[in-house]
Amino acid sequence: MSQFHQQRLSNGLTVLVETMPHVTGVAVGFLVRTGARDETPADAGVSHFLEHMCFKGTDKRGWRDITIAFDDIGSTYNAMTSKEKTFYYGWVRAGDLARQTELLADMMRSTLPEAEFETEKKVILEEIAMSDDQIDRHLYDLLHEKFFAGHPLRWPVLGTTETIEKLTRAQMLDYFRRRYNAANMVLIIAGHVTASAAMKIAEDVCGHWPAGVARPDRQPPSIVKRGVAVLPMDRFRQQAIAMAVPAPSATDDDNEVAETVASIVGGSNSRFFWKIVQAGIAPVASAYRVDYCDCGFQLLYGFCEPPNAERLVEAIQRELSVLAREGVTEDEVMRVRNRRRTALALEAEAPYHRLMQLAHDLDMFGVPRSVEQRLAELDAVTTDRVHDYLKRWPMDREHYLVSVGPRAWPES
Amino acid sequence: MHGGAEPYVHRTLRGGIELVVERLPDRPIAALDIRILAGMADEPADKLGLAFLVEQTINKGTAKRSGQELSDAFDRLGALHGSSAGRESFGFRCTCLPDFLDDVVALHAEFLRTPTFPEESCEVAKELALQELTALEDDPGELSRKALSLRAYGPVLGRHLYGERETIERIGRTDIVGFWQRNFGAARLQVAAAGRVDAERLADSLEKHFSDWNPSVVRATSPAVEFSAGRWHAHKELEQQYIAICWPGVPMSDAAHPVERVMLTILGDGMSSRLFAEVRERQGLVYWVGAWHEHPRTAGMIHLGASSTPARCEQTYVTLLREVDRLADDISADELARAKTQIIARTETHGDLTRARVSELASDLFYYGRPIPMAVKNAQVQAVSVEEIRGYLSEHPRDRRCVVTLGPAAPPAA
Repeated sequence: MSQFHQQRLSNGLTVLVETMPHVTGVAVGFLVRTGARDETPADAGVSHFLEHMCFKGTDKRGWRDITIAFDDIGSTYNAMTSKEKTFYYGWVRAGDLARQTELLADMMRSTLPEAEFETEKKVILEEIAMSDDQIDRHLYDLLHEKFFAGHPLRWPVLGTTETIEKLTRAQMLDYFRRRYNAANMVLIIAGHVTASAAMKIAEDVCGHWPAGVARPDRQPPSIVKRGVAVLPMDRFRQQAIAMAVPAPSATDDDNEVAETVASIVGGSNSRFFWKIVQAGIAPVASAYRVDYCDCGFQLLYGFCEPPNAERLVEAIQRELSVLAREGVTEDEVMRVRNRRRTALALEAEAPYHRLMQLAHDLDMFGVPRSVEQRLAELDAVTTDRVHDYLKRWPMDREHYLVSVGPRAWPES
Repeated sequence: MHGGAEPYVHRTLRGGIELVVERLPDRPIAALDIRILAGMADEPADKLGLAFLVEQTINKGTAKRSGQELSDAFDRLGALHGSSAGRESFGFRCTCLPDFLDDVVALHAEFLRTPTFPEESCEVAKELALQELTALEDDPGELSRKALSLRAYGPVLGRHLYGERETIERIGRTDIVGFWQRNFGAARLQVAAAGRVDAERLADSLEKHFSDWNPSVVRATSPAVEFSAGRWHAHKELEQQYIAICWPGVPMSDAAHPVERVMLTILGDGMSSRLFAEVRERQGLVYWVGAWHEHPRTAGMIHLGASSTPARCEQTYVTLLREVDRLADDISADELARAKTQIIARTETHGDLTRARVSELASDLFYYGRPIPMAVKNAQVQAVSVEEIRGYLSEHPRDRRCVVTLGPAAPPAA
């Protein structure tokens, strides 16, 4: 249905093209292999702040010109920063691919305009304030702070009010020069385009970039597998509770098995849904696999009325014990597989969704995975593999528990 | 790409069921959107939250199987499904591989027509609704929208999904069953489908399953918006102050709808829009700001929203209103052309998604009673002129506004 073309330009920039002849649009993005875990305590939050600054000006364009150029072609566009990557993208009509790619490429050579730095710092501080009003953000950050104690994965992507206020443009410029170069970036294009046309555009807009050097290798964390952390916050009405259980990294052969386990435990129509939500214990109880390049965890979480906190945790633990004792059924694995098959069919018709998946694949594996390949990986998940996984990654033995809300629970 | 000369099929089936299909035979999937024309507006005033409870319990047991067995049956087909309760309609949406469409329709018929509403599920749904009300207190954006809706839309169309604590507590299984009996039936059924769909076969299937469904249920007229201008503030301990502004616009079926759509794109859609450029990029007052419109079936409402820390709230508010007030003064040809391209290009790129197509079709059926081809809508947008926007703005004054603020500081003085 689709086909890949992967090639390096002479300066070392990797270009990946997925031709999707069955669609009318095309999505393009620049993956920068850097994120919050690649920062230092002195510049925590710089990756995300820098992502904002790339919209603020280049040698050719001011911020107003950049935003107008996106909207002049009716692009669906944005950028995002995570613990491990920064990604800029636009989704346009096929005829606008060259304009969209040139614009994004120009932004990757940002001048980080001095006049805009302090104004954008205010926007970042507003974003932090807005996220401070969300209980789930506190829960997620607290879990990372404790589970990855002593490792850069513990830092929040946004940074903190203190680190952002202190951050200087000179620090950002230094970080930018070290990370935004051909050796550390990937150009990805997915949609109605031929490989030759896409490669010509890539050469035209990125061929002159300096080669640079790739980001230093990352050090894997030593995870704190057991513990409890409580953040009392009176202003919230719910109690938010999460448990982290170690799980394989994104590149592990058990990747699809780990996803299946998360889905059976806490996806839609899952054990958590019927045994916790439909038991009236909490309106939200879910499981979600968090995967990084060298580690991962199963995130088991829920939001409940504060007096229900004990019942929620007991119910989660009970389900994990049942899982360890009884395993999963053929029918459960088949149901997850069938849902995912439909989801993959949906992904195959959407250049934007393929672009996001390819960014993940390139970042983690260095090569793309086709929808067909992922279907094959999905089909290879069996109950035996799930049971083998549960022996090697037991979910009922140790966990790190975090709790945020009006109750200081569990008590130490 | 459509494979046939006429992609659209629009028919009224036996029992009054409305069906619209967009045939996209090259697509690998089929998407279905089933709408029942009833919703929060049909709740008794002392039983607010009832529509939510109906939506939460209707698939928790049928004459043939339990709620979990029903969900398992959907999963075995790989059918991705979901439901929602709205002001004037319930939505049941499903995407599946084309071969399973008949089975998916049969499953929907089973739970829509023969729900058992188990007593235990009704009690759990009530309990969860009360817990959702607690969760709502931790969502300042939704909380400010709730406060705004009640005043801007009035006591019927301004209802919130979760109702109020005391009204939820009053609801029993009998109320849930009664609501379903009074409001669910073939005459209130609208079905949209897109993708690799055999329209004739789908029509036959729908007639077989639904045409004799509850003939005593007839269509009701849509309630009207009861707009109140004014300013309200609620104190809450938060990092930011949330601002929600609303005033009446035009219905989807109004000839001026495309004009309003272009005007709102200029005002608040995209990073080049006036609000984003002025409030965020130039002044750095907010992370989030937006303008959009929402549509009850026979009305339209314009919304503005933003949030900023208390020290910047006054300036944010003043800037928002200034941008609204100056809209008619200086719209340039470039701005107009850009807004049109934004709307048309996104319609085209997002049209690759079968789910986007079925949502558009379902919306057409709900508001216009027929499918409107994308090319026709885009031509209406393309025809909008600066003079029409000025005319719209002069005919629809923006000085009677409903404003709600929520946060730790005093409301804006301006």
